[in-house]
Amino acid sequence: MIKVEDCFLKLGPKTSFYCEKFYAEPKSKVALWGPSGCGKSTLLNIISGLLRPDRGTVIVNGVDITKLSESQLDHFRGENIGFIFQTFNLLPPFSALQNVVIGMRFSSTVPSSIWNKTAKSLLERVGLGNKLSNKPSQLSVGEQQRVAIARAVANKQKIIVADEPTGSLDPKTANKVLELLLELSDEHGVTLLLVTHDKSIADRFPIIYNCSNLVKEEE
Amino acid sequence: MTLWGIAWGYLWNRKFTTVLTILSVALAVALISSVLTLREETRKRFEEEGQAFDLVVGAKGSPLQLVLSSVYFMDNPTGNIPWEVYEQIKNDKEYVQSAYPIALGDNYQGFRIVGTDPALFEHKWISPITGEERHPFQIEKGRIFEKPFEAVLGSLVAGETGLKIGDTFISSHGFVRLPEVLGGHDHEQHPYVVVGIFKPSDSPFDRAIFTSIESVWDIHAHHEEESEKHSEEDEGDIRYQEWGKNPRSMVTAVLVQLQSPALRFQYREMIRESTVAMAATPVEEISKLFEQFLGTAKTVLLSIGYLVVVVSALSIMIGLYLAILQRRRDLAIMRALGASRVEIFGSVLIEAFWVTTLGIVVGYLIGGLVSKLIGMYLVQKYGLSVTAFTLTPEHITSFATVAVVGVLAGIIPAWQAYKRNIARDLAEL
Repeated sequence: MIKVEDCFLKLGPKTSFYCEKFYAEPKSKVALWGPSGCGKSTLLNIISGLLRPDRGTVIVNGVDITKLSESQLDHFRGENIGFIFQTFNLLPPFSALQNVVIGMRFSSTVPSSIWNKTAKSLLERVGLGNKLSNKPSQLSVGEQQRVAIARAVANKQKIIVADEPTGSLDPKTANKVLELLLELSDEHGVTLLLVTHDKSIADRFPIIYNCSNLVKEEE
Repeated sequence: MTLWGIAWGYLWNRKFTTVLTILSVALAVALISSVLTLREETRKRFEEEGQAFDLVVGAKGSPLQLVLSSVYFMDNPTGNIPWEVYEQIKNDKEYVQSAYPIALGDNYQGFRIVGTDPALFEHKWISPITGEERHPFQIEKGRIFEKPFEAVLGSLVAGETGLKIGDTFISSHGFVRLPEVLGGHDHEQHPYVVVGIFKPSDSPFDRAIFTSIESVWDIHAHHEEESEKHSEEDEGDIRYQEWGKNPRSMVTAVLVQLQSPALRFQYREMIRESTVAMAATPVEEISKLFEQFLGTAKTVLLSIGYLVVVVSALSIMIGLYLAILQRRRDLAIMRALGASRVEIFGSVLIEAFWVTTLGIVVGYLIGGLVSKLIGMYLVQKYGLSVTAFTLTPEHITSFATVAVVGVLAGIIPAWQAYKRNIARDLAEL
């Protein structure tokens, strides 16, 4: 369960973010939709603990993450939240397999003895069983995003946050990646929060949260 | 995948700069390592050879010069002393176990000709380094000389000159080979015949030619009689040994083995008081040489080495700092994946550690190779071989210092990585 209430964050001298209320049930799929700059990514970063609000309540899986220290927040992120970014954000020096393993290394949810086995099976699941040793530069953009999806679910986190995960992909690849993401969310029983400015993508989600009025310019 | 593996992955990802940084550390370490190795090894070897005799007795002058000329065949002698001094020492059984006269004055192709008594070739001593018995004079081919103008060659002399048993050679006056225009001249009337070659002994004796003391006397007696022009040219010239009008009454030095090393100081004083000669303790003079002159040289070279370490540390710091700026997104991703600030800080420090450690290992190997090359020169020049790869407590202290400096150089970049704002880095890139 995710609950955000009365959440305020000063973004700039005349810009601020305010979310009166956001709520997501466990295992739900929510699209955070709105135009560019509306504050949807800011909301996602606050929920995932990458940004701290100046005020308000952010409860994720029963924990008020605004009360956590920096190191507690790092630990919480590793155990509870899987990230998927628009630009994939794989670590360039490492192979597909190592990228997924590194995701598990910084979390304590999967025993180290099965890191390789888990990563291999997830990469096979996303169709990259034959590219385990390939580095990001040797993968297509669609393949890179599939590695990122495998990494996001590897730690058995309860929440996956995806920030414009199909934004850098062509429509055909984007569709395949989105299907894979929805399938894996169902398979792993996770809460999926997906940020998009594309209404057609948002429409494929059972819940759409309209973020259009989250960021305000002061007069 | 450990933090060590992740750090290694990033270093490997920028191989070129990593290799350059490792090399800069390695060069500093190589300089430090080779200075320490060569200084320690040459000191040990010189002191080991210095233990061959308790005292050297010769003409008054510099004790170090006397030791260098008579034990290591490196410097000009301080002069000659009367034969009676040798007789007095030899017969002083209360203090002296053995005494060997040596007469210097000529060379062949730069190798010293040492006139001595065959009894010297029975001389043995215990090495303070290995604890084993040293016996440098073991015949490999032929025999010991039995009459004047027969010569036995040290192994390096035989190797470098190509002389074989039965070959003859003409000696030149002085201690270095000089062209005639500079006053050099040969003793053509007295050719030597090679009758023996010693086994390699890893000592200065390998670079000497041994003959009877009568040979040296005869040559210089003849020389004094026949060639006034030479004596005029030679007069006061340190390149030549002055033998005077009656060479047969002179000896250049006496190598002395006492009944006990504890008698060295006492007997040295006795020689000073009772004869016209002076006595010097080889091991003491060599220790002084290493502590004073070579100690300063070591300090200068080590200072340069540590200066290079500081420069290398700066290059580690700059390299890591730029690397952190380039991969701030990667660091932010790792943080998003759950890596703590401490883990990020640690991974950057580990990179500094890898670079420094590899630099130390490579530097030690390069330093060993440099020591090996210089060691080969030392064998050619002085007949002393040194161990190229040694690891003394001084080495370990120096390497530890380099390691600490290298890792400290990683602290600023690591701190930069530690305090980065992940959300901003993820948003910007």
